[in-house]
Amino acid sequence: METRTLLIRYDEIGLKGRNRKHFENQLVKNIRYALRGIQNIKINKIHGRILGFVNLADADKCIDYLNFVPGIASISIGHSMEPDFDKIAKLGISLIQTKLQDLGQLKFCVRTRRSNKSFPSTSKEFNFEVGSRIMETLSSKGLSVDINRADFVLEVEIGPQKTIVFDNRVPGLKGLPVGSSGQVLSLLSGGIDSPVSTFKLMTRGCRVHSIFFDNRTFLGRGGYDKVIRLANILNRYQGGGKLFVIPFQDIQVAIRDHCHDMNRVVLYRRMMYRISNVLAELNNCHALVTGESVGQVASQTLKNLAAVSCVTQMSVFRPLIGMNKHEIIKDAKKIGTFDISIEAQPDCCSVFMPDHPTTRSKIKYLESDERLFPWEELMAQALASVEIINLDELNSRV
Amino acid sequence: MIYLDNAATTPITPKVMDVLKESMDSDFANPGTIYSIGLDAKKLIDRAKEDIAIALNIPSTHKIIFTSGGSESNNLFIKGHYFPDKKVAYLGLEHPSVREPLEYFSSFGNDPFNMLKYQTQGRLDLKNISVLSDTRSKLLCLSHVNNELGTVNDPVSVYDALCENSPDTRLFMDGVQAVGIFKLSSTIWRGLSGYSVSGHKIHGPKGIGLLIYDAKLSITPIIHGGHQQDGVRSGTPPVPLIRAIAKAISIASERIDEMQEHYEFLKNRLIQGLYDLSDHIPELNIRFNSLVDDDHKRQSPSIVNFSFPPVEGEVLLHHLEAKGIFVGLGSACSASSKKPSRILLGIGLSVEETRCSLRISFSGNNTINDIDVFLEEFSIAYKNLYPTFLRMNRKN
Repeated sequence: METRTLLIRYDEIGLKGRNRKHFENQLVKNIRYALRGIQNIKINKIHGRILGFVNLADADKCIDYLNFVPGIASISIGHSMEPDFDKIAKLGISLIQTKLQDLGQLKFCVRTRRSNKSFPSTSKEFNFEVGSRIMETLSSKGLSVDINRADFVLEVEIGPQKTIVFDNRVPGLKGLPVGSSGQVLSLLSGGIDSPVSTFKLMTRGCRVHSIFFDNRTFLGRGGYDKVIRLANILNRYQGGGKLFVIPFQDIQVAIRDHCHDMNRVVLYRRMMYRISNVLAELNNCHALVTGESVGQVASQTLKNLAAVSCVTQMSVFRPLIGMNKHEIIKDAKKIGTFDISIEAQPDCCSVFMPDHPTTRSKIKYLESDERLFPWEELMAQALASVEIINLDELNSRV
Repeated sequence: MIYLDNAATTPITPKVMDVLKESMDSDFANPGTIYSIGLDAKKLIDRAKEDIAIALNIPSTHKIIFTSGGSESNNLFIKGHYFPDKKVAYLGLEHPSVREPLEYFSSFGNDPFNMLKYQTQGRLDLKNISVLSDTRSKLLCLSHVNNELGTVNDPVSVYDALCENSPDTRLFMDGVQAVGIFKLSSTIWRGLSGYSVSGHKIHGPKGIGLLIYDAKLSITPIIHGGHQQDGVRSGTPPVPLIRAIAKAISIASERIDEMQEHYEFLKNRLIQGLYDLSDHIPELNIRFNSLVDDDHKRQSPSIVNFSFPPVEGEVLLHHLEAKGIFVGLGSACSASSKKPSRILLGIGLSVEETRCSLRISFSGNNTINDIDVFLEEFSIAYKNLYPTFLRMNRKN
């Protein structure tokens, strides 16, 4: 059976020092997990690269799966062969010929990288030897050499054991491999922003669990269903994620009925942060993640952000804090959550949202409002009723 | 589960399901083919048409076309015969699948004639029907039964009024909410140029409906292709769905008298129950948006629509949902929209009254117990929610 070699390049891991091995091993583990459905695949780590050996029929499918693995700079599908000029040139000719027939003229070059420094030829010599052999056959058919503006680049990587020849590079997600930076807990809503902030932490090597505050008694199950679908998409980038669903209606009703209207939104968020803090500690998560961006809505002014952050000792990561909406939407489209996020979602802002929310909440007034309802008791009840969804098992449910 | 949103859709009745399953299993052949099993499939369609014609008293002057449902039937007739240069009138309280094709004509410089100012209690006031002659309207589009209110435009009365005051105006009716509730007689068909029916509103499957129209009219197709159904609606006819809708229509027609009585009983229990709740809960003020009388020429017995400000219908709906009771919030086709119902606004409700409303619609599966449980849970939810909404209203 014809096989191909996947040549997987790291992103930032290459910059790591003594920790590098830890990151590499995590990436290999994630790649094995992502490709677990591919039959007879072999994954090997070599210096600075990860190689996968697959059946030809599965190669494109592997690329599709690897597009969901953070930490990869780029991937190529190549041919493993002996470092023999004639054989490599023959392969190059067969790859170029089809394109040449379509286009009539083509500029090309050969680029060689040697990690096996004991190989007798230098990279430049190798380029020349292979390139001139190809030109002998195809120059009369419209092929020319152009090192700087080539339409077609035949790349050769000469390693200690393997030489790989390829003509393609698919960009990866970049960043760090999930699991190399520990776990965090992301406050996930059905909107556009929080899925993007969740994704951003995944590409920084974190395994991101999510928490959703559900009020289906007032809003119906639409929001819950939507968040499950979003969490399912996001989990494709990491695997092993959990979604915590907290029944939030009693807390929201208590705040609405007992506290000053203008403070409601900040008070809701302070409760969300407190609950998230507890769940994060219980689940070995070391920070909270939110989709807040300065000034986007009334609850996201500097004063209000400070007023919610102060209820937790935990770090709060806000990866979108300096981004504008257009940038966030662009990212949401790229990761595949946008179309779900913009689906109409039932809400009843009129019931819970004040007409004039404060943009400069004062902590002493918020604390005074919080003395008007039994928040500790309600928080304990909400935590006791948490629903935990293991996202890896979700596909059989939705 | 208590399901009280039968104007949105209905569960398939077991006898229809049997037909559907059996037909899915055996009637796979393309009815357009010329070998024996294809001819057999064609015969089954012809038989289904006969059954439908008998059940609905459709005369031979009218043609039956199978479509994907009520919305397609409405679009096919309106666009197929009146697009884009003939003047068309409508009341403005129709389902969006009638209203929007007409409003689409405006982009071709042919504004439809909106008769909303001539509505009374959700129905066309026939005293003013001569305006159709003044405006040279070629077609009048109405709901037979309004999908949100259940109010009725009686086809015979409308046709008689047209004959007298605007004889050049033809009549098209959206019959999606009427079939299975009202008997269709040959007198009715005399006045109808077109009529639409949907399978899933009468315990049949989704994805199948009928356009019944005067065979003298020519309809330009919307879907071009294989020239099936005389070229009016191309696409391989789905034999199992066709057999299933025929069965659903036959069952519904056989049981009309029994069902009317049943719906009347449920409706009266509900209305009386809501009046009683109003008496016992001082803060509850019910306003019925549908008519409360028993005159079937004015109101369908299967739909009750009412408002209860200041509590929002959407919130109440979810509170009832938590108890396993499913009710309607305006029209199911636009319930995801945040805009207030055009139908309720059209009959003169304020935005608040529109928001604070529910639609209850019955099927033969509902019992008196369903109504009693609904009333009990409605009163509990209303009492819980009232203080919040009162507080909100005071601030506003």
